Amino acid sequence: MPMSQDEIKSNVLTTTIESAVNWGRKNSLWPMPFGTACCGIEFMAVLAARTDISRFGAEAIRFSPRQSDLLIVAGRISIKMMPVLIRIYEQMPEPKWVISMGACASSGGVFDTYSVIQGVDQFIPVDVYIPGCPPRPEGIVESLLKIQDLVDKEKLSDYALSDTK
Amino acid sequence: MLLEKTISDVKESFPEAILDVTEFAGERSVHIKCDRILDILSFFKEAGFEFLADLTAVDNLTLGGFERFVVVYHLLSHESVERVTVKAYLPEEKPTLRSVESLWKTADWQEREVYDLYGITFESHPNMTRILNPDTFDGHPLRKDYPRRGRIERSDFPQVKRGIRKENETP
Repeated sequence: MPMSQDEIKSNVLTTTIESAVNWGRKNSLWPMPFGTACCGIEFMAVLAARTDISRFGAEAIRFSPRQSDLLIVAGRISIKMMPVLIRIYEQMPEPKWVISMGACASSGGVFDTYSVIQGVDQFIPVDVYIPGCPPRPEGIVESLLKIQDLVDKEKLSDYALSDTK
Repeated sequence: MLLEKTISDVKESFPEAILDVTEFAGERSVHIKCDRILDILSFFKEAGFEFLADLTAVDNLTLGGFERFVVVYHLLSHESVERVTVKAYLPEEKPTLRSVESLWKTADWQEREVYDLYGITFESHPNMTRILNPDTFDGHPLRKDYPRRGRIERSDFPQVKRGIRKENETP
């Protein structure tokens, strides 16, 4: 169906594939909550009415790592749990992002004992850290917005190059 | 009272095994040698202390006591609502005593926990393996001579690198 000049102006938007893909990704992050302590309880509040992260398209909480692209490590990680966390991170499809939520996941917190990992970033790559014990829901929303900024900076060329490696 | 009668009966029946009977804050403790533990606890159970409320251990390294390790049994009589603590003392070298799993099924996991954290083994236990720490764990961390921050167990994991995605600047 042919369009007039005016119709094209009001119906067609030009952009790059990259920004269209990144726009879609950043507004439909699917979090995988790895809640092992009180941060996991606090994370539930983020889904509730007051801070409702479905406003940012991130309300589809998946408990399967294979269906999610945002890992939220919420709580202390013991030496018995760390292999599980590594396995879950490796099961997530690319591209993926990681939030380390709260003092325990980021640094071990007050649990400076033989059995608690002193920061999950020693073993898996972390993109955004949230301070707090536990963090307020606003902090988690802020971290989600920071992750969205990161997603916006993605380069599709990185993925194209990886095929030729 | 059931408690007083049982304690004097135990003293009569096992004079060589009883080390001491003490009272603190209204709670009675019977301190015993570890070799007759099964007989003495059977005696308590038949006398009416039929509930094993807790089974734990103490490392006396810095506290002093008859021996280095103590396995502590907290018994409760539902009928007279009285409690008694039985403390069995074990030597530092190869601490071993009989399992009471045959008397109380709940002792199964609690004895595994004592084994995991203190290295005290229980003879004739159905499954003497670790319960809290990973099976590959080396050492018994609630012993007082175990370093509080551990050895290398919490930093001994493979490091997962970023996959396709490149290192982004932190916003």
